[in-house]
Amino acid sequence: MRVALAEDGALFREGLLMLLQAAGHEVVAVAAGGDELISLLASTSADVAVLDIRMPPEPDGGLITAERLRGKYPDMGLLFLSHYAESHYLMRILEIGTDSIGYRLKERVGSVEVLGDTLSRIADGEIVIEPVLAKRLVERPRGQKKDEIAALSEREVDVLRLMAEGRSNNGIASQLFVTPKAIEKNIANIFSKLDLHTDTSEHHRRVLAVLTYLRSQKDGG
Amino acid sequence: MRLEPAPAAPVGPEAPVDPEARVRAARRLREQEQWRSRLRLERQLHDGAALRISALALQLGLFQHRVPAGEPELRDAVGTLQDELAAALQELRDVAAQIYPPLLDEAGLGPALRNLVERLDLAVRITAVPDRFGAAAEGAVYFALADALSVNAGPLPTEVRVTREAADLVVVVDGGGAVLGELLRDRAHPLGGAVDGPAVPAAAAAPGVGTIVVRIPCE
Repeated sequence: MRVALAEDGALFREGLLMLLQAAGHEVVAVAAGGDELISLLASTSADVAVLDIRMPPEPDGGLITAERLRGKYPDMGLLFLSHYAESHYLMRILEIGTDSIGYRLKERVGSVEVLGDTLSRIADGEIVIEPVLAKRLVERPRGQKKDEIAALSEREVDVLRLMAEGRSNNGIASQLFVTPKAIEKNIANIFSKLDLHTDTSEHHRRVLAVLTYLRSQKDGG
Repeated sequence: MRLEPAPAAPVGPEAPVDPEARVRAARRLREQEQWRSRLRLERQLHDGAALRISALALQLGLFQHRVPAGEPELRDAVGTLQDELAAALQELRDVAAQIYPPLLDEAGLGPALRNLVERLDLAVRITAVPDRFGAAAEGAVYFALADALSVNAGPLPTEVRVTREAADLVVVVDGGGAVLGELLRDRAHPLGGAVDGPAVPAAAAAPGVGTIVVRIPCE
């Protein structure tokens, strides 16, 4: 696999480079920051870009760089590495994309097998989330989440399921043989029943609604 | 924690003439410097020890890869060492979060408070403007709320709203109790801030529970 790498900590960057090479990957670009990586990628191609979240351009250059890369090369997989597994960053990552994308802790990709598995799943189009964070998201002790899904009508659950598959409003409408206007109304009801407030953006609320749905699925609800 | 020496009170033509005002101004500067020093310590942990340990985990992975296939016990032993390093890093993270939460530093009060109530699994609604208010004001509000919420001190607020008014950070807490009010006062006063409430509404649900308004001037 062709891998590009951007990380500002020299020690970690060198370690990751050696591990990637040991795993048999071709490292096509190595940079200490996002802007540098983008200019390197102008003359070479990569299957997956590995990005530190907290690097130049400050404060979270990894996210900004990822947005640019996704815009320029939609097929390039993105793996975020961070010292923290935070749902705040997961939300921002899922806003950049919900396929071929991953978020893992730095010290948890420290074996050839785990690193190789993470990269190939991302290259195959999957979302890879650090297990400890995924576990925290699906095992929220508050029973409330399930009830929130239970409050939705059958139609609203259908709409949410199609949202979780990454479909647009028009896509959902054609699947359910109704007008996009009707879907907009369903989605507004879903947001309000799931208690997602109007102070966050439409896209962010979509992501949150989908996460709530995924959680309820994992709970066996 | 080693504290930085307090900066001298401002002197010169702009300095307040009133001696009490001078004392307050000096205390405010000292308090702001303490918060900045906490922030620096957190960053030092992240950029120093934490990164070094993460890199060590990678180097062990490389070593593990070079262990001959006929030595499964040695491979497992390296895996155990990596788990130990991960545990050490988690302890470092827990310490760092008590000094100054990295998410507060990186993303501000809204995300940090949402993370706090999510971790404690509390039904407190957080609304916040994305504005930044400096390490001191943000730290003061965050830690007062974290202290109150994590020990269940008094009634659970229903909502926390973070806004900006001119150069001030204004935080409105609905349904806060007297203990939370005191904790916010302790943190806000040294920064020249003011705390009103809990103002108990006429038809109060419980005695002493009401709206708390915190206002902290920002540097």
